[in-house]
Amino acid sequence: MYNDKESQKIVDIIQNYARKHSLFVLAYGTGCGAIEIPPTMTSRYDAERFGIRGAATPRQADVLLITGYLATKSLKRVIKVYEQMQDPKYVIGFGSCTINGGMYWDSYNTINVLDKYLPVDVYINGCMPRPEAVIAGFVKLQKQIQAGKADGWDKYKKNLDYYKENQKKVITNWVMPDFNW
Amino acid sequence: MSENKLHNEQKLLDLLEKKFILKESKIRREKRVEVKVEPKEIIPVLLYAKDNSGYTAFTHMSCVDWIEDGEFEVVYILWHPEEKINFFVKTRVPRDNGTLPNIDFIWRQANTYEREIREMFGIQFEGLIGREEFILEDWEHMPPMRRDFDTAKFVEKTYFYRPGREDAKDVREYVQERTDEELPDFAKKYSRD
Repeated sequence: MYNDKESQKIVDIIQNYARKHSLFVLAYGTGCGAIEIPPTMTSRYDAERFGIRGAATPRQADVLLITGYLATKSLKRVIKVYEQMQDPKYVIGFGSCTINGGMYWDSYNTINVLDKYLPVDVYINGCMPRPEAVIAGFVKLQKQIQAGKADGWDKYKKNLDYYKENQKKVITNWVMPDFNW
Repeated sequence: MSENKLHNEQKLLDLLEKKFILKESKIRREKRVEVKVEPKEIIPVLLYAKDNSGYTAFTHMSCVDWIEDGEFEVVYILWHPEEKINFFVKTRVPRDNGTLPNIDFIWRQANTYEREIREMFGIQFEGLIGREEFILEDWEHMPPMRRDFDTAKFVEKTYFYRPGREDAKDVREYVQERTDEELPDFAKKYSRD
């Protein structure tokens, strides 16, 4: 009979191949970076060549783009959205604001380091990153998926306490369930 | 610039000076008139400008924190669509428990500006309708646009810092370093260190 480990390997390769070529991006924009998404999606840069296209609701989406600065007010919504997405799910931090705060590093209502609150698979730097850079980031994510290394969603599940602690430090009035299924 | 060019601006000032007690009034330049009044004169001056002088458009309302004087300055900006003149009405209230008349019965859009100023500076408007919480969510500290709110300290306490941003510092100190410009005393007083 078949060796389970060997056959699992083959299944994984096929699964990852399928996943990396159908990245559905949630139509959700925070901050100013969302303005770079329309040119990426439309005819000039045509991201659909790579299998990247929009999804209307969190449950249909694979990729969550955090496009630019993230206010504490929208962090609450982002967490809700992220937890509603189906596994496997990926997060792309977009622009320097998500990396170290960017030009909003000393603002009273924007978070500075995104990966303390959500597991980030790929960061795209720049202020703003151009569509080429966005596509380069997506290609990098595709490579990670093929190699089976884009496991942010798994990390989030395993280290839920760490992420919740950081999230609750910022969101003082926590009026939602601890995990939004 | 000839006298004739400032005719419309001068006409408005003459009318206002006859009717109201103005603390200060001047034509700052072409198409820009400024007056300073007491808080209780705000509604009469704005109503007069709207109904009798043609300043029908309410463009903006903003607030300046004069921490050295212990006062907030609220600026109402009106616009004359035909003569293309900006009209600034300024008034000052004390920083602690400052109260201003509500003007949203004159222009409804003023309600939005007033709620923002109430949230960001803590000035109260008499009889203003609308929830206390407007843009900020679950904010329990000092109103954040006040100059004595220490943003850097707040950020340090609340958010995470990623190394590599050592160049990020107070702009005023940076300007002083580059241009050998003396910082004014009040800036030193509220400086970050």
